[in-house]
Amino acid sequence: MDLGRPDRADRLEALAAEYALGTLSTRARRRLEAIRRRDARVASVVRSWEYRLAGLAEAVPAVTPAPRVWAGIQRRLGIGEAAPAPREPWWRSLALWRGLATAGLALAIGLGVLLMANAPEPQPVVVVLAGQDARPALIASAARGSRTLIVKAVNPIDVAPDRSLELWALPEGQNPRPLGLLPASGVARVSLPEPADAVLGNTPALAVSLEPAGGSPTGLPTGPVLYTGAVQRMY
Amino acid sequence: MATSPDKSARLADLLARTALADQAAFAELYRLTSGQLYGLALRMLRDHALAEEILQDVYVSVWHHAATYAASKSQPATWLTSIARNRCLDQLRKRELETVPITRDDDNDGEVEMEFAADDPTPMEMLLNGAESRSVRECVDTLEGGQKQAIALAFYQGLTHAELAQQLRQPLGTIKSWVRRGLERLRQCLDRSGYVH
Repeated sequence: MDLGRPDRADRLEALAAEYALGTLSTRARRRLEAIRRRDARVASVVRSWEYRLAGLAEAVPAVTPAPRVWAGIQRRLGIGEAAPAPREPWWRSLALWRGLATAGLALAIGLGVLLMANAPEPQPVVVVLAGQDARPALIASAARGSRTLIVKAVNPIDVAPDRSLELWALPEGQNPRPLGLLPASGVARVSLPEPADAVLGNTPALAVSLEPAGGSPTGLPTGPVLYTGAVQRMY
Repeated sequence: MATSPDKSARLADLLARTALADQAAFAELYRLTSGQLYGLALRMLRDHALAEEILQDVYVSVWHHAATYAASKSQPATWLTSIARNRCLDQLRKRELETVPITRDDDNDGEVEMEFAADDPTPMEMLLNGAESRSVRECVDTLEGGQKQAIALAFYQGLTHAELAQQLRQPLGTIKSWVRRGLERLRQCLDRSGYVH
């Protein structure tokens, strides 16, 4: 059957009409669909009928489908996955605080005492910042009333040229507060907006994260946390 | 659905971008068109769960085949409507094969109609008054009573010739002739009024 033939035009017209209306049997519909795909003239006649009758579809009142329908479509297509539930930021994670509590308090005090012994004046606030291996990487210290936090790198730290080390205060129950950028080696003098015991009041720990050069663009840590340390008050 | 030239162009653009896997465009396309297609599926299938399932099939298919839209040379709304109606028809025909002969009597139809809100238009009302296009409405108006009924039930409820014969209590031959002549008259009228794609 060559539906595209001019002498079959009436038959084609009638079939296309019933196809668009929906009264053809499933078999006949399938056949017409197959022919339509390979015969441009058949395709054009079917298209015209679909257009004529699509006008009737507008008459059906629209009904908004339940949100689960769209969710199901996304799931089936594997697209637009709802953003994964925001993970607890690391500074709220229990593991951090548990780690701080056990990370060699004795060591910290020992180092602090050592540091104090070398310092021209007593340094009653001491923070030993260590990485995951618990080895001290940085030692921060300040006198209670001082507006300068002295941070000393125990060993030079390997930092890519387009990255900076940023020091954070981790106040209890609040977001980290940026304290300043640290050099990868040597001693840094970090200016504090207020005396140390005010700035570090309610602050059980400090942390250092790896940030884009110049520091976090958001005001919160964006890169991996390299070192953390509990604030030891020696007064 | 959207038939104004502006909206048509918008849908065509969204389809083109969907073909490029643009998820935002696809979401917008869904937002603009799903209500109409869901209404249609609900009408034809008369089952919420089934209509939801078919609607998902439709948009999964649209996502995968959006690239073929351009080649179809159809209006976007027509293209989408055709996909949805074809899915519904497949489903209806499948259901027929699975169930013992459907008994459609007046009581049954009454029950089925109950599923829709009382102010929902009947197939006949939709056929006569619903089309956005004045040409379509006027041309539908030129059909004879039996032709109108048969075409309305076939289009909005997906009935076959045999089912139409049963529901309208007419011989099969009469039904076929109503449908054929009704469609032919509709075409002539629409062509005359310039409602041509």
